[in-house]
Amino acid sequence: MTKILRTGKGTEDGLKELLRFLLDNGKVKGVLTLRKTDEDGAVSYSLITAPAGIDSAVPLFPLMPVNLAKQLSLLTLNEAATEPIAVVLRPCELRAFIELVKRTQASLDNILFISSTCPGVYPLEAAVEGKVEEHVPKYWEAAARGEPAPDVRSACQACEYFVPYTADITVSLLGNKDIGKETTFSLNTQKAELFVEGMSGEFSEKEPDAPILKQIQSTRKAEREKLADEAELRNLGIDELTKTFSRCIGCRNCSKVCPACYCHICFFETETAEHDAPYYETELEKTGCVNMLSDTTFYHLVRLFHVGASCTGCGQCSDVCPANIPLWAISLKVGGAVQKAFDYVPGRSVEEGLPITTFAPEEFAGVV
Amino acid sequence: MSSSRKGALLAAEGSAEKAIIGFVKLALKQGAFDAVLVPSRVPAGDSFAYHLIGNETVLEAASPLAPVMPVQGARVISSITRRGKGKKKIAAIMRPCEARATIELAKLGQVDLENITLITMDCPGVMPLSDYFENADRGDKLFADASQKWDTGPMRPVCRICDKFSSTGGEDLHIGTMGTKNGSILLVPRSPKGEDVLSKAGLSLEENAGSWETCVNKLTEERKQKRGESNEALRSEIEGIDKLTKAFSACINCHNCMRVCPICYCRQCHFDSDKMKFSFEDYLSRAETRGSLRVPTDTLLFHIGRMLHMSLSCVSCGMCEDACPTAIPVAQIFTLVGDRNREVFDYVPDKSVDEPLPLTTFEQNELEEVEQSCAGVFAKQES
Repeated sequence: MTKILRTGKGTEDGLKELLRFLLDNGKVKGVLTLRKTDEDGAVSYSLITAPAGIDSAVPLFPLMPVNLAKQLSLLTLNEAATEPIAVVLRPCELRAFIELVKRTQASLDNILFISSTCPGVYPLEAAVEGKVEEHVPKYWEAAARGEPAPDVRSACQACEYFVPYTADITVSLLGNKDIGKETTFSLNTQKAELFVEGMSGEFSEKEPDAPILKQIQSTRKAEREKLADEAELRNLGIDELTKTFSRCIGCRNCSKVCPACYCHICFFETETAEHDAPYYETELEKTGCVNMLSDTTFYHLVRLFHVGASCTGCGQCSDVCPANIPLWAISLKVGGAVQKAFDYVPGRSVEEGLPITTFAPEEFAGVV
Repeated sequence: MSSSRKGALLAAEGSAEKAIIGFVKLALKQGAFDAVLVPSRVPAGDSFAYHLIGNETVLEAASPLAPVMPVQGARVISSITRRGKGKKKIAAIMRPCEARATIELAKLGQVDLENITLITMDCPGVMPLSDYFENADRGDKLFADASQKWDTGPMRPVCRICDKFSSTGGEDLHIGTMGTKNGSILLVPRSPKGEDVLSKAGLSLEENAGSWETCVNKLTEERKQKRGESNEALRSEIEGIDKLTKAFSACINCHNCMRVCPICYCRQCHFDSDKMKFSFEDYLSRAETRGSLRVPTDTLLFHIGRMLHMSLSCVSCGMCEDACPTAIPVAQIFTLVGDRNREVFDYVPDKSVDEPLPLTTFEQNELEEVEQSCAGVFAKQES
């Protein structure tokens, strides 16, 4: 039975109260969460150490300026957290972080993970246009009904993994009709129980939300198929792929913001991947015409190959693409197929080995 | 109107773009160069990419005046010649800002110009990528209408204030399209290489360039004024550390501005290196100093570092702004900072490959007023 803590405030306030409690009582030295950084409403992740800083925190603001897994990896790459911190992140960020831990790019030590049953986030574009704030009431109404708001990222509308796997504390949002009145925390680990000890609220033991979450899961699967169709990704043969990536400008920003792409220098940015004048001249002699942006489809295929198994479908790649390529859908389709083939869910458990580094003497007999 | 400058007038049916292609085909046929580097539509039809073309028939479908700039041409020339020049002579047909960036890259040792002939044209600007990609058909029409009227409304914000949209003297050959009739073009050589191309193509310099120059000068003056006004307006919005912080408050630290920038050529930026990966203790103590630490960290430092490194050579092409996922007016900010910095060094990033970069030039006596004011500050601190 999961332990439950209920507090009598609306969800965002209840969560802020928890964060303040953790800081005030010295249970953590810092809280990593979304925060309004100026009076015009710019929202960024921040590592907050002063309890007063929680006032400007907006832990459930429906925006993902960066995938926090990538940032948390940077914070814990050279050394694990030396002091306890609490981190509020979305399920896909948490799963991506677990993948980075498996790839030895991050450490779990000393971190209290707080996540939620996630209603999704708005595209960065909405933040640029200053529209997120006005969407917020509608967003919460949809969340209470167990639906994603209509304008959230396509990746979020198609997401089946809105329940976090490895969070210490899960805030109940999706399908929770009482979002505005109270906050329900599931205390999933002993660590969580220790951290909230002394907090005022009503403790109980009850399985929350299970039936409605199952129901949402099945509607999402249908949504996923529909959205993949809309992105014209039914068949991904080489012709379709070339067409899909035809607008790519080769900036590789999709890899820069991707939490799974952790390489210090991408192969495609090394000298090995560069051509020189004789190469271009030989190509020119062969065909009479050389496309100078020719390696883009190759790049995307290699990236899918490298990160497909670990893709958690956050949608960050699509949001930053200057050419509006529906990268989220491609990753979801290809990543989803790879994950299914290996019966692997990225970020489900830190113990689960990466398919590519796990040797199974007998697998894919048909392929071999 | 008379001018000392002369050019070759090439009459053409229809558009300036067709006339440019006609000329390039002629020069290629006459052996003025072996291949042409020029934007062409991609097979899917919804974008453009630089193509290296040696075949006259393929050249027919080129788009020297493409409505968008998905990749800055200087980067393309660099990718061909960075490791040394090739054997073939290549004519690069590009926008003036691309040629200017190429010259800067040559100064930085990232381009070998020996076998490259830079050919520019009067530039109507380019549309922002996101506007064009929303609907390429509509974009094509919008661009065609606007560019004909020299209306910069649909173009990149920095194109609207560009005062170097025509010949700047660093290129080998310029193609004038302003003030000419019925899509005819005026070919103006700006170097012996350019003269050689025209003579190989069998074109002689018989046309007085006066009326073209008058048109160009008039628009240049208008644009200079606009640029000054725009810089001044932006300055009041971003000057000072608080306002600058705010201007970059949406930055997600993806560094895409740097990766599409023709001048930022470092294989690994300092800001992507291990030097910028600190220990947990460092991050925590920085947070504790002020109560909170924005994550990602050091975003403003990155932009200021980039300004310091490349703003003198910035050609205001606008790639950075198009590639920014959070619509920060990066190109406009860098235009302002670049203009002011260049004024200090009396530097123009396009005149000639031989003009040295200010940051690599040592002068015994310069910027004494800065030295003195710094000395004053230090003296005060010490006393």
